[in-house]
Amino acid sequence: MLARVEDVSKEYQLGDQPVTALHHVNLSIEQGVFMAIAGPSGSGKSTLLNLLGCIDTPTTGTVYLDGEPLSGKSADELARLRGRWIGFIFQTFNLLPVLSAAENVEYPLLQFVDMRGEERRRRVRHYLKLVGLAEFERHRPNQLSGGQRQRVAIARALAVRPKIILADEPTANLDHRTGSRILRLMRRINRSTGATFVFSTHDQRIIDLADRRVDLEDGRVVRLGVRSGHEWVYAAERAAAADRTGSAERAAAADRTGSAERAAG
Amino acid sequence: MLKLAMRNMARQRARTAITLAGIALGVASLVLCGGFVADILLQLRERTIHSQLGHLQIYKQGLHASGGHHPLDYLIEDVDAVGRELAALPGLAVYGQRLAFPGLISNGRAELPILAEGVEPGPEAQIGSAFSILAGRPLTTHDRFGVIVGEGLAKSMKLEPGDRVNLVTSTREGAANTLDFEIVGVARSLSKEYDARSVRLPLQAAQELTDVAGASAFVVLLARTEDTGRARAMLASRLPPGLEVKTWHELDDFYKNTAALYERQFGFLQGVILVMVLLGVANSMNMTLHERTAEFGIMRALGRTGREVFLLAIAEAALLGAIGALAGVIAGAALAWLISAIGIPMAPPPNSESGFHARIQVVPVVLAAAFALGLLAAVCGSLVPARHVTRVPLSDALRRAV
Repeated sequence: MLARVEDVSKEYQLGDQPVTALHHVNLSIEQGVFMAIAGPSGSGKSTLLNLLGCIDTPTTGTVYLDGEPLSGKSADELARLRGRWIGFIFQTFNLLPVLSAAENVEYPLLQFVDMRGEERRRRVRHYLKLVGLAEFERHRPNQLSGGQRQRVAIARALAVRPKIILADEPTANLDHRTGSRILRLMRRINRSTGATFVFSTHDQRIIDLADRRVDLEDGRVVRLGVRSGHEWVYAAERAAAADRTGSAERAAAADRTGSAERAAG
Repeated sequence: MLKLAMRNMARQRARTAITLAGIALGVASLVLCGGFVADILLQLRERTIHSQLGHLQIYKQGLHASGGHHPLDYLIEDVDAVGRELAALPGLAVYGQRLAFPGLISNGRAELPILAEGVEPGPEAQIGSAFSILAGRPLTTHDRFGVIVGEGLAKSMKLEPGDRVNLVTSTREGAANTLDFEIVGVARSLSKEYDARSVRLPLQAAQELTDVAGASAFVVLLARTEDTGRARAMLASRLPPGLEVKTWHELDDFYKNTAALYERQFGFLQGVILVMVLLGVANSMNMTLHERTAEFGIMRALGRTGREVFLLAIAEAALLGAIGALAGVIAGAALAWLISAIGIPMAPPPNSESGFHARIQVVPVVLAAAFALGLLAAVCGSLVPARHVTRVPLSDALRRAV
C-alpha cells in the first residue's frame, strides 16, 4: 500500500469557532492508481490532499506514506519527504515566476545533492519532452499559456520521480479544451510510467478518467469506488463479491474500505 | 540561491529601485555626514596645530606639570643640543624656540596683565599658518622691537598697528625690566582666551627683557600629523635628559572638548540616519516578502525547509543591501567631491572667533563603515519579515497563491 489514512480528523480554528474539516477518514491508496477525491466545495478534498502531501498535519489519526507514519516528524523531515516522495500540481500552477520552464522543473532536483548536473539536465529535458514543452524550456511562466504552465508543473512534479503525485483541482484555471488535454496527458503518464496520481476535484472529466474515486461530503467519506470497465463498483458491492469468491485478500481490502465507509457514515 | 535572489530583485523593478534608492540615500548621507565630521575635526586639528601649538613641544621637565606659571624657572639652556636632535628628526618641517613669560602691557592709558612669548619669526611663519593677522603684518626677522598683540587684547586697550606699548616683566632674579615696542600687527588664534592676553615679540627681545639666554620651549612642526606619535617616541629617546616631549593633543583641551562635542552631535545624527534607513528597508522588505508568501510556500512544498527559504530571503536582502550600499558609497563620494569644490561656510567653533569653510572628506574607513551599515540595515530590516513569512503554515501560504 502506497499511502494509508487511518482514522484521521482535522479541525481548524475559524476565528473563535472550531471547524471540523475531516471526520475520522480512512483511506488506502495503492501504487499506480489514478484516484479522484470528489465532492462539493468545503467537503474536505483539499484538506485531505494536504494531509497526504505532508503540507498539513491531522488533529487526530495517522497518515502513512510507504508504510511510514508521518506523525511525529519535524517540519524539516516533512519538507524532505515532500521533496523526495511527493509531486504537487496546483490549481494555480504555482511556478516560480523568475525561473524558466527548465529551471522550474530543475528546482526540486537541486535538493538532491548527490545528483550530478548532467543527470539533472537530462531529467529536465526528458520530462519537458514528455509534456510536449521541449521547445519552451527557456520560456518564463509569463511567456507561457495556462495549459503550458500546467504542463511545466506536471513535469516538475514528475521530475523527482515521486511516489505519489497530488493534484489539487488541476483543471480549474484552464479552459475546457486545454483542461481535457492536460488530463489525458496525466492519464497517459500514469499508464506509461505507473506514477500514482491523486486528484482533488469536482471536474467530472477527472472522475471519468479515474480508476478509483473517493466521494467526500462534509468531511466524511461517503463512497469509495473502483472502476470496473465503464462502471463504478463501490465498497459494499466489492465486499459482497469478495465473500462470493472467498478471496481472503480481497475481503480484507473490502473490510478496510467498508470500515472507512462506516466511520464516514 | 544567488541567481534566484538576483532574479527576484529584478522582478519588482520599481519597488527594488525604491528600496535601493532608500539604502543608497541613507548610505550616502552617512558618507557625507561622516566625511563632514572628519573634515571638521581634520581642519580643527590642523588649525590647532598651525595656530600656535605645532605637532610637538619640548619643555624642561616640570614646566608642564607646574601649569607653566613660572616658565623662566624651567629654561632649556643647551638649545644647540636640542636643535641638533631636531634637525636630524625624520619628517621634520621646521622647528622654533619660544620663550614665554608673564608680564604687563601698558600704553600710557591702560595696563593689563599679559602672557608674552618670544618667538623666532621665520619658523613661526610656517608653524603658525593658521595664526591670522587681522591688521598690520606678521613679525619678521628685521623686527627687533616689534610686537603682535592678540585680537582681544587689542580691543581691550584700543591698540592698532603703529601704536607704541611698554612691556614690563620680572627677570629670573626678580628685578623689574621694561622695554618699548611698536605694535606691528593684531592677530587671531583659535583660542579667544589666548587672544585676550597674548603678546608675541622677537625671541631676542624677549631674552633681553627677561635677561635669560635659553628658551622655555621648542615647537616642532612635522610634514605629516600622522607621524606625531613616531616622532615623539624618537625624540623622547634621543633628547638630553631632563626634557619632556608633549604632543599637540596633550597640550590642547580645546580641541579635545570641541572634537568630543562634534562627535556627540554628529554621532546622534548618524544614529538617526541609521534608524531611518533601517525602518525604510524593513518596510520595503516587509511588503516585498509578504507579497511573496505564496511563492515561499511553493518552495517549501517542493521540499525546501523553512530555514532554506529564510536564508534565500536574507540573501536577497543582503544582495539588495550590498548593491544599494555600493551605490550609496559611490553617490556619497561623488557628492563629497562636488560639495568640497564649493565649500560649506561654517561659524566659528566654541571659544573661537574664526569661521572656516568645511569640506567633505572621502575617508576610506567612513566609506567602509557606511557600506557595512547599509548592508547590515538591509539584512536586519528583513530578519523579522523573513522569519514571519517562512513560518506561515504551509497550507495557508499555498492558499494565497493566485
